[in-house]
Amino acid sequence: MEKNNKSIRIECPKLLITRNESDLQWLIGSPFFPPLTIISTFRCIHSGSSDPDFLKESEEIRTLLLKGLDVIGALIVGKSDPQKTAVRAVEAARNLRRVLSGRTNLENEEIIGAVADPDTGDIRFFVSENESSASLDLVNSVSYDANPEKFLWESGCLLLCQLPIKLPVCFPVNKPSDVECIFSRAIEAVIAKLKDPNVVYLVEASNKASLDVVQPVIIRGADLDFDTTAPNIELLDEAAHSSEQKLLPCGHFCLKSKSTPHLFSAKNADILQVSVLLNRSEKSPKRSAPAVEYFPAMEETRLLIVDFKLEVLCYAVQGIPLMHAISKLIIPGLIDQLISMKQMTLPNLLTQHPELHPYHFSPPGIAHPVTVIYELSYGETEMKQVDARRSLHMRLGLPFDRPLLRIANSLDLSIKDRSSTSSTRKGSSFLKDVHIGIPSSGVSGGIVSLVQGSYEYYHYLQDGFDDSGWGCAYRSLQTIISWFRLQHYSAVDVPSHREIQQSLVDIGDKDPAFIGSREWIGAIELSFVLDKLLGVSCKVINVRSGSELPEKCRELAFHFETQGTPIMIGGGVLAYTLLGVDYNEATGECAYLILDPHYTGSDDVKKIVNGGWCGWKKSVDSKGKSFFLQDKFYNLLLPQRPNMV
Amino acid sequence: MVKAVVGEESQLQLVEDRLSQSSAPAQVGLVIGKLSSGLDRGFVYDLVPTPQNDVGQSACSVLEPAKDNRKKGSNSKPKSQSSDSSSSLVIDKEWVAEHARQVSRMMVGGINVVGIYVWASEATFKNSTMVLCQTVKGVAEAASLLEDDLDERLLIHICYSPRRWTCRNCTLSSNITSSSLRPCDFKMGRVLTSLQTFKCFYNFDLSLPIYQEKASKSETLVDVLRNGISNYVKELRGAKAMIDGNLVVNDEICTTNGLHEIELLLPFMKDMYIEACSQKDVVGIVNFTGSVCSFSFLNSKESISQAVADIKDDIIRSLLSRLDIICDEADEDAGTNDDVIKETRNDSLSEKPVSQLVLHSLRKNCNLSLPRRVFVPWLAGFKRPLC
Repeated sequence: MEKNNKSIRIECPKLLITRNESDLQWLIGSPFFPPLTIISTFRCIHSGSSDPDFLKESEEIRTLLLKGLDVIGALIVGKSDPQKTAVRAVEAARNLRRVLSGRTNLENEEIIGAVADPDTGDIRFFVSENESSASLDLVNSVSYDANPEKFLWESGCLLLCQLPIKLPVCFPVNKPSDVECIFSRAIEAVIAKLKDPNVVYLVEASNKASLDVVQPVIIRGADLDFDTTAPNIELLDEAAHSSEQKLLPCGHFCLKSKSTPHLFSAKNADILQVSVLLNRSEKSPKRSAPAVEYFPAMEETRLLIVDFKLEVLCYAVQGIPLMHAISKLIIPGLIDQLISMKQMTLPNLLTQHPELHPYHFSPPGIAHPVTVIYELSYGETEMKQVDARRSLHMRLGLPFDRPLLRIANSLDLSIKDRSSTSSTRKGSSFLKDVHIGIPSSGVSGGIVSLVQGSYEYYHYLQDGFDDSGWGCAYRSLQTIISWFRLQHYSAVDVPSHREIQQSLVDIGDKDPAFIGSREWIGAIELSFVLDKLLGVSCKVINVRSGSELPEKCRELAFHFETQGTPIMIGGGVLAYTLLGVDYNEATGECAYLILDPHYTGSDDVKKIVNGGWCGWKKSVDSKGKSFFLQDKFYNLLLPQRPNMV
Repeated sequence: MVKAVVGEESQLQLVEDRLSQSSAPAQVGLVIGKLSSGLDRGFVYDLVPTPQNDVGQSACSVLEPAKDNRKKGSNSKPKSQSSDSSSSLVIDKEWVAEHARQVSRMMVGGINVVGIYVWASEATFKNSTMVLCQTVKGVAEAASLLEDDLDERLLIHICYSPRRWTCRNCTLSSNITSSSLRPCDFKMGRVLTSLQTFKCFYNFDLSLPIYQEKASKSETLVDVLRNGISNYVKELRGAKAMIDGNLVVNDEICTTNGLHEIELLLPFMKDMYIEACSQKDVVGIVNFTGSVCSFSFLNSKESISQAVADIKDDIIRSLLSRLDIICDEADEDAGTNDDVIKETRNDSLSEKPVSQLVLHSLRKNCNLSLPRRVFVPWLAGFKRPLC
C-alpha cells in the first residue's frame, strides 16, 4: 500500500452501515463528477451463495439508475481482512459495471472498493486503478459534504423524455409461439429506428418562465454521434458560445438565477423536455408517387398492438452539449427502458396486457431521483406491488414504515409555473406547515423534536362552519388525518364534523342522536375514528395534572423522532395539537410546539403566528403562568405510524 | 367573417375585358382565392368561367318573363334585355358544383374555390339571389375547404351597366334568407406578386390492417384507403413543422422572400390511425406509401402557421383527390364495360378495377398506383397541379 494523493468525496447524507455480515452496497457516482465522488449507495438485494446475482442486480439497477449516473464501486460490511474484502468489492463492482454497460473493456476505469467495520462503523476506502493490476491503493483522504443537494443541482439538470409507442405485431394464429420472436424483432426495429437519421429530437424547457424566453431546439438524428464513450463527453465552456443548435449546452434551457440554496433539490431542478419526432420531409432516394400494395395473409393471422409508455429521466450537468445528452443519455435510456418493458411483457404477451408505467422518485436521503416501472393492472395496493415497493425500500435503504415510493410520492415533472407554486396546490385551500419559520422556543440547550412531514391547519369557523366552542378536538383530528393524507398513507378525504360523528355512531360508540349535535369529543373518540377511517392505532398517555407533563417530554421527543405524527392533547379542558417538543434533558427545561384549533380568524400565517395560535409554549411562561393547568387532567393521543410502504 | 376582399387587378381586368367582349347575356364561374378567418379578409386571385355542360348547354342563362317574350322581336340585343327589371338567371347548379369539385382538385395549398361570380345586370342579379345562394352552397359542398372551414363563401357580381364589381359574403349555415348575403368591401389591388411560396415533400407510410370482422366484409380498396387517410388526418394536423430548418413556434409573419421549405415532424411510432385494439384477426394488410410534393401560397399579412396548415391541407386534399380520380375512372369503366362483365361473370374479379376490389374476398397480392401530381405554371408563375 503506497501513499497516494487520491481523495474520496462523499456527497450523500450518510453511508448507513447495517450489522448484516454479508451486506454489500453499490457505490453510485457519475461520469460528470470528479473521479471517486460517491453520491449514493444502492444495497445489493439479490445474491447467490457467495456472489451477488449480477444479472438480476443489473436488470433492476439499470431501470432504477438514471442515465448520467453509474456504479463506481462497492462497499462490503465485514470483519475479515480489509484488503481482501476490498478486492472482492472491486471485483463485484467491475462485474456489475460490465453487465450493466454490455462492454467488456473496462480496463482503465477506477473502481472504489470500500470496507466497513460493522462494529465501529468505520469505512476504509481502496481504489483499483485498472483491472490488470492487482494492487489496491488505500485512500486516506475522505471528505464528507454537508450539502450534497447543492453539489448535484448547482450545475446539474434533468432531461425528461416521454415517448408513447404503439407496436403492431402480426402473428400466425396456429403458431402463437412465433409471436415472441416476432415481437422481439419489432422491438429491435424500434431500437434501430431511434438512431435513424430521420428522427428529430425536440428539446424545450419545461418550466413556464424559461419556456417563454428560450425557443425549443431541434437536434437531427443525422447529426448525432453514437460512437464516443460516455466518460469522454466533452464539457462545453460557458464562454464558448456556439451558434450551432446541436452544440448548445443543456444549460441553455436552465434558469440562471438559482441563488437560494433550499432550491437545490431534484424537485426544483431544471428539467429539459425532449420529444422524439420523425421527420417526414427528409430527402430520400426512395421518394416515389403514392402507391398501394395489398398483402393478403397466407394463414390465419392475428394483429396484436402493444402499447408502451416510455418515460426516461436522465441526469446531466449543464455544460454538456444537447446532442451528446441525447445520444449518450436519452437514447440509451429509451432503449434500456424499452428492453426492460419488453422483458416484463414477454412472459404473458398474449394473455395479459400489463399496464407498465415508469415513475420517478426523489426519496429522502438520496440527492438524485430514481426511476421505477410499476405494473398497475391491479392497482398499487396489490400484494405484488407492495412486495415490489418493499424490495425497493430495501435497495435504497429506506424505512419500511412509511410510503415513500407510491405513485403519489412520485416527482411531478409537468410544466411548472414557478411564480405560483407555493400556496394553492392541488385545490387544497388549507394552510400547510404553519410552524415553519416561527420564533424559537427559548429553551437553552434544548433538543427540538418535530412532526415529520406536512399537515394542514384546521381551526374554528373554517369552511363557513360554526364550531366555535365545541369543535376544537374535531379540528385537531382533521389536522392529524391531513398528515396521514399528505404522507400518502391514505387517500381518505379529511372528514367533516358530521362524518366524524357518523363514524363514531357506526362503530357503536355513540347513539344516532349524536350526529349533528355540538357535543365535544376527546382523545379516546379520536383514536376510534383514526382506527375506523385509517386503520391507525394510537398510544395514549394520561397525566392527572398539567404539572406532570414535563415528565413526559422525553417520551414525547421519542415519539416525534420515531413516529413523527402530530399529537392530539385532550382532557379536562381545551384540545390542542402538539407538533413538537424542545427539551433540555439536563436542566429539564422544555417547551411545546402547540397548534391551536381555537383560532377563528382568516388563514393568514402572519396573524396566526403573531397571535400565538401556532407557537412554542413553555410549561410556565415568563409571567409565571402555566400553559397546562395544574388542576386539570390531560390525555395525549399519539397516533402510530402504520407499518406499510 | 370576411369583411374586406382584395381582387388581383391584373387578372380581374383581363376577366372584365373578356366579359365585356362576350355577347353572353350572363355568365357564371368560380372564384379562386383564399378566405382568411384570422384577418377577416378575402383574396381573389382569378375567376374561372364554368364551361358548357356535357350536352353543350351553358351553365347559366337569363330567363325572360312571359310578357317579355312577346317583345322579344323588337329587342334582340342582349344588353338591352338587361334593362328589363323582371328577368332572372337560370343556373345549372349541379354542373357548377361539379366544376368546382374538379377545379378544387387542381388547387394547391392556400388556393381554393371560395365562391362564385356572376356576370349579369343589376336587376337580373337582384331577381336571382335565391338561385345564386343555392349555387354558392352547392359549390361550397363540392369544394369544401378542409381545415377551419369558414361558414361563408363569396358571391361576386360583375354588373355590366354601369360596369361595377360588388362582392357579397354568403353565409352557408342557415337556410337561405335575405340575411344570408351581406355586402363586403371589394377593391382591386396587387395580391399575386406578394405571395410567399412554401414547398414541402411529405413521405408517408401507412399500414392498414384489414380485419376479419363483418363490418369490413364489403370494404373495397378505395374505402380502406379513404378511411385510412381520414384517420391519418388527425395525426398530420397535429404535426409540428420546421420552415427553412427552424421550428415553427410562434405565429410569426414570414419576412424573407423566395421559396421556403417546410419539413413536417410527426410523432415517433405512435400511429393513431391504427385502431386501438389488443388482439384482432386480420386477413391482410394494405401498405400505402409514397411521397407527396406540396405547395402552399401565403399572403403577406398571414402568419407562417397558416402556411403550415395550408400545406397539410394540400397533402390531404392531394391524396383524397387522387382517390376520387381513381373512383371516377372506375365509374366510367363500369359504365362502358357493363356488357363485358355480364358476359364473363365467372371471372368478374379480374374485370373489376383494382380500386373497387373487395379485399376481404381477395386472396392474392395486388398493386395500385395512384395518379401522379404534375405542376404546371399558372398565374404569375405559381403552379397548379394537374392530377
